[in-house]
Amino acid sequence: MMANDQSQPLASGNLRFRQGTAALSWIGRNLALVCFAVFALFPILWMVTCTLKSDAEMYTTVFNFTPTLSNYRAVLIGTDYFKAFLQNIVVAGGAVLLTIAVGVPAAYGLARYNFKKKEDIAFTILSFKFAPEILVILPVFLIFQKIGLYDTYFGLIWVYQLITMPLLIWVLRGYFEDISVEIEQAAQLDGYRWYEVFWKILLPLIKPGLVASGLLAFIFAWNSFTFPLILSGFKIQTITITSLRYIASDSVHYGHVAVAATVAITPEIIAALFIQKHLVRGLSFGAVKG
Amino acid sequence: MASIEMIGVTKRYESTVAIDDLSLRVEDNEFFVLFGPAGAGKSTTLKCIAGVEFPQKGLVKIGGTIVNLIEPSNRNVSMVFENYALYPHMSVYDNIASPLRSRLHRKSEPDIKKAIDKIATLMHIESLYDRKPNQLSNGQRQRVAIGRCLVREPNVFLMDEPLAHLDAKLKHTMRAELKEMQDAFNTTTIYVTHDYLEAMSLADRIAVLDHGRVVQLGTALQMYYTPGNEFVAKLFGEPEINLIDAQFYVEGGKTLISTGIGLTYEAEPDVAAALQTQEHNRLHLGIRGNNVAFSFQGGGEGWLRGTVFANEPIGNSVIMTVQLGPEQIRVVAPNDTNAALDQTVYVRLATANVLYFGADTRRYIVRHNQEQVSSVAHLRRAGREGGEA
Repeated sequence: MMANDQSQPLASGNLRFRQGTAALSWIGRNLALVCFAVFALFPILWMVTCTLKSDAEMYTTVFNFTPTLSNYRAVLIGTDYFKAFLQNIVVAGGAVLLTIAVGVPAAYGLARYNFKKKEDIAFTILSFKFAPEILVILPVFLIFQKIGLYDTYFGLIWVYQLITMPLLIWVLRGYFEDISVEIEQAAQLDGYRWYEVFWKILLPLIKPGLVASGLLAFIFAWNSFTFPLILSGFKIQTITITSLRYIASDSVHYGHVAVAATVAITPEIIAALFIQKHLVRGLSFGAVKG
Repeated sequence: MASIEMIGVTKRYESTVAIDDLSLRVEDNEFFVLFGPAGAGKSTTLKCIAGVEFPQKGLVKIGGTIVNLIEPSNRNVSMVFENYALYPHMSVYDNIASPLRSRLHRKSEPDIKKAIDKIATLMHIESLYDRKPNQLSNGQRQRVAIGRCLVREPNVFLMDEPLAHLDAKLKHTMRAELKEMQDAFNTTTIYVTHDYLEAMSLADRIAVLDHGRVVQLGTALQMYYTPGNEFVAKLFGEPEINLIDAQFYVEGGKTLISTGIGLTYEAEPDVAAALQTQEHNRLHLGIRGNNVAFSFQGGGEGWLRGTVFANEPIGNSVIMTVQLGPEQIRVVAPNDTNAALDQTVYVRLATANVLYFGADTRRYIVRHNQEQVSSVAHLRRAGREGGEA
């Protein structure tokens, strides 16, 4: 294609300039992302290297050390860490299931129906998330001891609702509000019962939000420290508490702590990687995209 | 295949009353149009019949059975929603197939395919099967919504402004299709619209609603020729009916009508008789734009002198607004009419076609030859029924 002779040098110069800035901005953007990635991932990397060091090398700050699996052996085989891991799965998983079972209908109710003090109730639910856990933990401890929920699965699952449910309710409430009520009505007129309407129409529409807030609820429950610290004893131990055991009053086995922490974050990382697509979308878009 | 009856139905949303003690009866196989301005309660009426909204008071009957406590899914009604209410996560095909896949109306997949193909051809959406609703234009969405409604064979079709977002040409074809389909399917249809052309062309009978009440019930021609009040008269017809302040008085045995625009004429005997039963002598004369003659040259007996206020070509005619003293009169003129603004123009009202309304009540009083006109208006419906039998 022949361009106009006179304007060609100017145009190509312009083009080269534009290509230059594009390349620069590409480099700049990626440099920033790399910086952020290093910033975010370095602690994890450091933790993983700690798991492979012996106690003697623990305080060296170079990556030059003789790797050893003795920490893993000591923690995973030598202690009942796996028991705590499984119990943590039961407690966190149970908390998420209960949150979904109760939170989805609650979110639907807050989105669809008008009743007195609706906004107050919605805000109260959210405020559970603001309140520091330490604020309520002593009364809860006393009550749990009285009614026999201390050191039980159900006791922990129940109290975890304080940290898992508010976010799920608020995210899903927004999703339900985005779905016009006529869509449900149309499905009813098509001949579907209310539970069929829920499974066939509503559930697919709220799925991104449900997955994202469900995962966050799982992470909140999995990471919870204060509640299991106070409300569980010998029968139930979560990994956050178990990890502490490797810090004794006279000696600290940082290698053991690092192994405990590394194993503890594995399920979260796997889950987050699998559904990272949903995670961003689920928290940033509504149910019905225009 | 069912008649529908609403008896004293009231539906309130918090403090606003959407429908207020509404009673109406829609006959079996009737094409019944609910017509009225925005917020008149048309959609709410449909939803109460469908069962997706619950009236606070009153009974809804379908086919003679009280259905107040029957679930919407079991009422066997099919509805087009004003906002389409398509399922956003399903393709067009699955949307239309949805009613046929439910437990109540289940059909085999080949039958579903056949039914959908038939409807899609009718709606011109065969090429859109795999699209999601958010990849469609509003007109296409609307056609999919109609398709989902028509793919079933319910007792009642409820249609909430189903043609509102189609372009003019498609609207016209679709109107004809709906009418034909209704005749073919033998199904009761309740149709909500605020387009008077749609209402008049489709309806066996029309109910005009305002503020949740039935203002008038009758055939399209009754609405047009003998509207119950000024509100109905204004809704039907384009341009809007002209209403002119006037009063009548009796002088020497004659009933004379005098207007504020310099026209005084003697009322016909039947009109005079009806007017004399009125308490007040102030009137509004309703006259449609096509019953006003105009001329740019010279006047004469009965011609009124005015000036051109506006001149709007609308394709097949021109709507000319004439300033006559304090009043503005809209006149339908041939589309080759060229008039400069403020040009002098003479108009003559065809006083035989005037509708008389009370100035204070705004209710219809009488028109000349009322018996004859209303019998013609009835004929249309009678003719349709005769044709079906």
